[in-house]
Amino acid sequence: MTQVFASTLVLASLYALVGVGYVLIYRASRVLSLAQGDLMMFGGYALFAASATLAVPPLVAIGLALGASFAAGLAIYVVLMRRMAGHPVFAAVLVTVSVGILLRVVVVLAYTDEIRHPAAAMAIANPPIALPGGAAVSTIDALTVGAAALVLTALYVFLRGSRLGIRMRAAGERPLLAAQRGIDFRGVFALSWALASLTGGIAGMLYATNVRLEPGAGVIGLRAFAVVLVGGLDSLGGVLPAALLVAAVEVLTVRYGNPLLADVSPFACLLVMLLLRPWGIAGTREELDRV
Amino acid sequence: MRLSMIFACAVLLCCSAAPAATAAEPYRLGLSAAITGPAAGTYAPTFDAYKAYFKRLNDAGGINGHLVEILYEDDRGEPSRAAATAKKFAEGVSAIVVASTSATYKPFMTESETDKVPLIFGGGVCPKEAFPPAQPLVFCSTSFGAQWDSRFAVPFIKREAGGRKVKVGFVAQNIPISQSEMEFAEKLARESGLESIPVVVVPGGSADLTPFAAKLKEAGADWVLSWAPWPLEIGVFEALSRIGWNGSYLLYAHQQAQADLTRLKAPNLYAFGGNALFTENLPIHQQIRDAVKGQTAHPADYMAEGWVSAMAIEQALRQCGWPCGKDKLAQALTTVTVDTKGLRGGPIEWSADNHYRKSTYYKIYRWDPAKNAITSVGDWTRLEVK
Repeated sequence: MTQVFASTLVLASLYALVGVGYVLIYRASRVLSLAQGDLMMFGGYALFAASATLAVPPLVAIGLALGASFAAGLAIYVVLMRRMAGHPVFAAVLVTVSVGILLRVVVVLAYTDEIRHPAAAMAIANPPIALPGGAAVSTIDALTVGAAALVLTALYVFLRGSRLGIRMRAAGERPLLAAQRGIDFRGVFALSWALASLTGGIAGMLYATNVRLEPGAGVIGLRAFAVVLVGGLDSLGGVLPAALLVAAVEVLTVRYGNPLLADVSPFACLLVMLLLRPWGIAGTREELDRV
Repeated sequence: MRLSMIFACAVLLCCSAAPAATAAEPYRLGLSAAITGPAAGTYAPTFDAYKAYFKRLNDAGGINGHLVEILYEDDRGEPSRAAATAKKFAEGVSAIVVASTSATYKPFMTESETDKVPLIFGGGVCPKEAFPPAQPLVFCSTSFGAQWDSRFAVPFIKREAGGRKVKVGFVAQNIPISQSEMEFAEKLARESGLESIPVVVVPGGSADLTPFAAKLKEAGADWVLSWAPWPLEIGVFEALSRIGWNGSYLLYAHQQAQADLTRLKAPNLYAFGGNALFTENLPIHQQIRDAVKGQTAHPADYMAEGWVSAMAIEQALRQCGWPCGKDKLAQALTTVTVDTKGLRGGPIEWSADNHYRKSTYYKIYRWDPAKNAITSVGDWTRLEVK
């Protein structure tokens, strides 16, 4: 049972790291970014590029990859999404789909379809850590949980306590009032894209170092999308309980149910939530119409 | 008089042009591979191996004075694309070569049967139609085959157990051929007195393999056998390692085996397969390295499957002579005996009713920490395919 709990926590942390990106962008700009999974994959490849191609020390590689993830989000907003202002949201969503496809093509051209292993490139060991009850997690599993806790806490503090964070919330919650107060919308949107890309990138780096890296790794983003819909698309607070719920259902399905249903379990959770509470665990009821 | 002169000139022109046209006419084959898509990591290197092999062959003048023209199509491992490709190939080629996922096989089989075109599987798992009694037009050179690999793997585990009571777990991907092979292996294990754990079937797209690994660990598996696409085979082993499992793991050595055995340096990971790893540094390995240099983005040690298949095709074309139609080539394929020059444990021999091989050979490799290198566990083991 301890192993079930540990596996759930690790998987939930991964989903939470990817999921907050969806919420950050949606809250700020009301755009549903379907490139979030591919931004996660991009973070993994950025780490691999830094460690294998540039052959820099691991800490430098991690720093470069974090920078590349942040810059990618910023660039996507500046080059593409900014131009979508005034267009239907549907068109903006399609642009994010295209961005995802483009990112996949770029990594295939650069690194082919082969599976890559940044941990090997950085010569990082990933030994298991024994837990009570005979359970164990890998070192990077533990780091994933730590990273998720850190990112969620930092975002909470940033959005609640910092001037910029309050502006971001204001722009998301009361756009008209915020505009009248002179809040720089473009800056807020750019920051939300950069932060979303960064959190996705962190998830990608951890996953790639722990498991493997391949162009299709972004498919995890689809499951995280189910997580944020379960939590409430406009609610950062809903991400964590939803991630825990979806991950628990997935892990329990493998352990005690039919493992073949594990793949669809996040979407089964989503269906149940849509039937019972369509706006999610902590989402706003009015957001439903907009989606 | 003038008319007869023109006629004579025309006849002369035709006569002189005819042999030139024949000489320029190539052997034409269709090759469908999963060059892109989710399975590309496995099949794109095989595609590159075919390209490099036939480029080298054509640079040397071709076969029987004719070049070999390969029409390439990317089926992405998707049945719908495979169906379109099969139709496209059926009319204009002497044989269709398939290096793709088993999901694409059905459309090729249907088209092969309809248009009586020989079908050669090289790189993807061998279909049962190639095993004795084989269907007349289906051939397979791939090193791995259902129902045979487990006949080697399970006795190996029993031998390694050395009389100790061991529990064996089995890992399959949720594709029919992988599942049925592991169910077959479980049955063999039970029959040979090993204690077995029910097969753990893993969905191909699983992001986190830890829950599947935990299931095996908690069931008390001392050994785990996996026969599935490489990412899943190795992924479950790595997930088991991450949760501190110390048992022994046996998997089929697909093309990525050498790279991952070297990366993981795990002495409890055993890879069994039909191809000699390039760590053996045989002359043929050097030939392949030289031939693919600059031709592919993949490592040379990923090329063995495609290379062996191309060797078999070359020999069939040589035996077919010229002209070489579908029927004649199908006949020639049943007489193929390829000296694999050490890439395999022995030759590939096809006959009228056996299009897999008369004998199949296996070798096991693992990481040896003392030598800090990959070493083989024993020599080739031969199984007769009846």
